[in-house]
Amino acid sequence: MKKVACFLLISFFATSIIFGQSKILKIGQIAPKIALPTPNGDTITLSSLKGKLVLIDFWATWCAPCVKEQPELKALYVKHANQVKAGKFEILGVSLDKNKENWEKSIEHLKIDWPQVSDLKFWKSQVAKDYAIEDLPFNVLVNEDGLIVAINLHEKKLVNFIDDYLNAKIKQP
Amino acid sequence: MRHTIFLISVMMLFCSGLFAQQNKENWTKNQLLEPSVLASKITENKAKNLLILSIGPDAVIKGSVEIGPGQNPKNIKNLENYLKNVPKTKEVIIYCGCCPFERCPNVRPAFKLLMDMGFKNGKLLNLPKNIKTNWLDKDYPTND
Repeated sequence: MKKVACFLLISFFATSIIFGQSKILKIGQIAPKIALPTPNGDTITLSSLKGKLVLIDFWATWCAPCVKEQPELKALYVKHANQVKAGKFEILGVSLDKNKENWEKSIEHLKIDWPQVSDLKFWKSQVAKDYAIEDLPFNVLVNEDGLIVAINLHEKKLVNFIDDYLNAKIKQP
Repeated sequence: MRHTIFLISVMMLFCSGLFAQQNKENWTKNQLLEPSVLASKITENKAKNLLILSIGPDAVIKGSVEIGPGQNPKNIKNLENYLKNVPKTKEVIIYCGCCPFERCPNVRPAFKLLMDMGFKNGKLLNLPKNIKTNWLDKDYPTND
C-alpha cells in the first residue's frame, strides 16, 4: 500500500513538473511573435529585428524595480552603440502599462531611445500570456535567428551575457 | 585589523537596520484581507458597505475606485480628499498588486494615511505576489 502511495505521489509531482514546464519559455525555442504599436502608432514586429541580438525588456511605469533598471539598460545601449548602429544589437521595450500618458512621460523622463511598444492592456496583453510572464521586470534575449538564448537575466549577469555575446561576434571572422 | 572588521560589522548592521526600516510593514496580520474573502463578498453582492480603493497601477477589482499609485504624494493627497467625508467606521480596503509587499512603494504611504485619519476598519488586500497571480489568474471579479 505504501509503495503504491509513494508511486502515485512521485507520478503526481513528475506530471506537475512536466505540465508546469510546458507553459514556460525555454532556451532554444523560437521567441513568440510580437507585433505591437509604438507611442506614435507605428507597429514594430520582433521578426523585423532578425539578424540582431535583441533584448526584449518587459516593463511598466507602475513597476518600481523596472523603472529602476532603465538607467542600467541605457548604459548598456550607450556602451554598445556601435553594434546598434551596425545592426547587431537592439533593445525592444515592451510595456504592460495601461495609461498612455504615464508610458510616454516615463519614456521621455528616462530618456529611453530604443524602440518601445505596448497595446496598453496591462496584464491582459496577449504578449504577457505568450511569454508566460508572472511578474515584472522580466526579459528575454533573442538571437539573430529569432531563437531564445537567455531568460530573465538582470544586473551583472545581463551585462556580462550581452558583452560576451557581442564581443564573441566581433572576434568571429 | 580587528578595528577595521569591527567597524565594517557595525556599518553593515546599521545599513541593514536602515534597509529593514524602509521595508517595515505598517500593518498587522489582522489588517490584511484575503483576496478570496473579498472576491466572494463581491460575487455574493455583499460588498455594498465596503470602499475598495486602488492605490496601485490599475483599479482592476470590480467596484474599486482608482486613486493612483501611493508613492506619488499627489495621489496621497487625492486619497485624503476622497476619504475626507467617509465615516471612520467604514470598512476601507486599499490594494496595489504591482509587486510583492517588500518591493512595493505604494502600500505603506497609503496605509499610513488610512491609519492617521483614524479608519478603524482600514484593511490592506493581501496580494503577496501581484494582482495578476493573486486576483486575475483566479478569475475573481474585475471592473472590465
